[in-house]
Amino acid sequence: MIADSLIVERGISAGDAWITVSPETAHDALAALKGEGYRLLVFLTCVDHLADSSRPKWPGRYEMVYQLRNMDSLEQLRVRAFVDGDPPHVDSVADLFPPANWDERETYDMFGVIFNGHPDLTRILMPDDWVGHPLRRDYPVGGETVEFSEEHESWQTAPEKA
Amino acid sequence: MSDSETGTIGQGVTVQRTGEHGAFGGELLTVNFGPHHPSTHGVLRLIVDLDGEQVKRLTPVIGYLHTGIEKQAEALRWQQAVVVTDRHDYLSPPINNLAYALAVEKLLGVDVPPRADALRVIMCELTRIASHLVWLGTSGIELGASTMLMYCFRERDTILDMNEEISGFRMHTSYIRPGGVMADATPRFMDMLDKFCDKMPGNVDEYEALLTMNPIFRSRTIGIGRLPAEDAKVLGATGPMLRGSGVKWDLRKNMPYSGYENYDFEVPTSDLCDCYGRYLVRIKEMRESVRILRQALDRLPDGPINVDDRKVLPPPREELETSMEAVIHHFKLFTEGYSVPAGDAYAAVESGRGENGCYVVSDGTHKPRRVKFRAASFVNLQPLERMAMNHMVADMVAIIGTADTVLGDCDR
Repeated sequence: MIADSLIVERGISAGDAWITVSPETAHDALAALKGEGYRLLVFLTCVDHLADSSRPKWPGRYEMVYQLRNMDSLEQLRVRAFVDGDPPHVDSVADLFPPANWDERETYDMFGVIFNGHPDLTRILMPDDWVGHPLRRDYPVGGETVEFSEEHESWQTAPEKA
Repeated sequence: MSDSETGTIGQGVTVQRTGEHGAFGGELLTVNFGPHHPSTHGVLRLIVDLDGEQVKRLTPVIGYLHTGIEKQAEALRWQQAVVVTDRHDYLSPPINNLAYALAVEKLLGVDVPPRADALRVIMCELTRIASHLVWLGTSGIELGASTMLMYCFRERDTILDMNEEISGFRMHTSYIRPGGVMADATPRFMDMLDKFCDKMPGNVDEYEALLTMNPIFRSRTIGIGRLPAEDAKVLGATGPMLRGSGVKWDLRKNMPYSGYENYDFEVPTSDLCDCYGRYLVRIKEMRESVRILRQALDRLPDGPINVDDRKVLPPPREELETSMEAVIHHFKLFTEGYSVPAGDAYAAVESGRGENGCYVVSDGTHKPRRVKFRAASFVNLQPLERMAMNHMVADMVAIIGTADTVLGDCDR
């Protein structure tokens, strides 16, 4: 396991092992874990803890989640990092794990997380001119009207900036 | 065509000059391929820079089939979200259901009874065959073997009939749900499955007779779209993409779920690392799936098909007439739903395309805080440039075909 100085908290959730690292050292921690055999980044995503009362105080609104796997020993590890700010910033890991490239673009698209050092941080699923980040909890469901319906007055009614 | 001009050369294909010069002295040409091109298996758009007819740069553009499934799942209750999981990889709904159900069951801490596990395995293997059949039929058409589709859809239709018999739906079955499965297998379903298991190996022989030694098919796939094992691992490829590169990795074997460890089956691999290797892997996988189906059918255990937990699943209809408690549970489940303990869980299953995972986060309420699908197609599209580099435009079609991406899965 990596140096204790990098780990803020560790535990097991529903049988899955996880560690929490600080967002500043997330890149270093993931590089160290990759050196230890966790070579596959299964996925990378973000969770928005806006108004989440399951914990009295969350360390940050956005939780970055990296699921790693060691394909030889079959061990899995989830790495978390809590970030705040508008927009939140975190270092890109696309240099360590090539599949992170699209995952980070998707996370930027959906949550507005800025990945420092990403080679091409552009929207991937939503149109390039889209306003707002749909998977944020304060982005309403049904926030835009259905095209060609009576309520749809202009071609592009962007929802208010999330 | 002048320097700034853009021309159209057929449905869904536009071209533009780049001003750069290629190795043959000509100018690199940017070709926009798709998103509505028939060979892109949905709505995949590729921006390709060509030197003569050789691919020099390739950028996949995705998102044309984005339907906000993850956002929709957050707005639904835990048991309602099963329905949207059907729709992301629309060729393998039970496998998507299973990933979601396993993740939610992990958080709930419930284990499903053995009969439910066996029925889940049956549905997943049927779906895997159906998904490979769609792939085989459409890839056959693209590579000049138009009759393939007729043969493949004949067996696929049998599988859809079985889906209809067991769940009432032909495609989006929503059959597997947290806590068990929707309904028990009927005698007619068992009969159909028995006939299918007897017939299918012969049908696979038919497909092989049409393609495996077919000189046109072989010349269009052998040596095309090579993806060495090391590259496949680094780029995160899973499923037949990885096994076609000679890596023996299958979640059903390596990290078994739903009792796959009790079945005797092989994990086919191919050291060819090319389109033909991926074709061979999928053909062998269909045969292995039939073996699993036969074992599951012969050993199908008796017993309940759902967990005996009234907080997760509604009570049987008969109990509602005699038990007040059953009425209360029924009412609570259909008005509020159940709450899942706060926490997060990840469950991964092997779909026809690779690792199909579901990461769920609960804040302790009756709706998910976050549902993330780890889509195999999304990751398997990224090695496309690596595979298509320096190949001809026509080979790109074979490469997209054997990557077997479902754009609904990719864009979610």
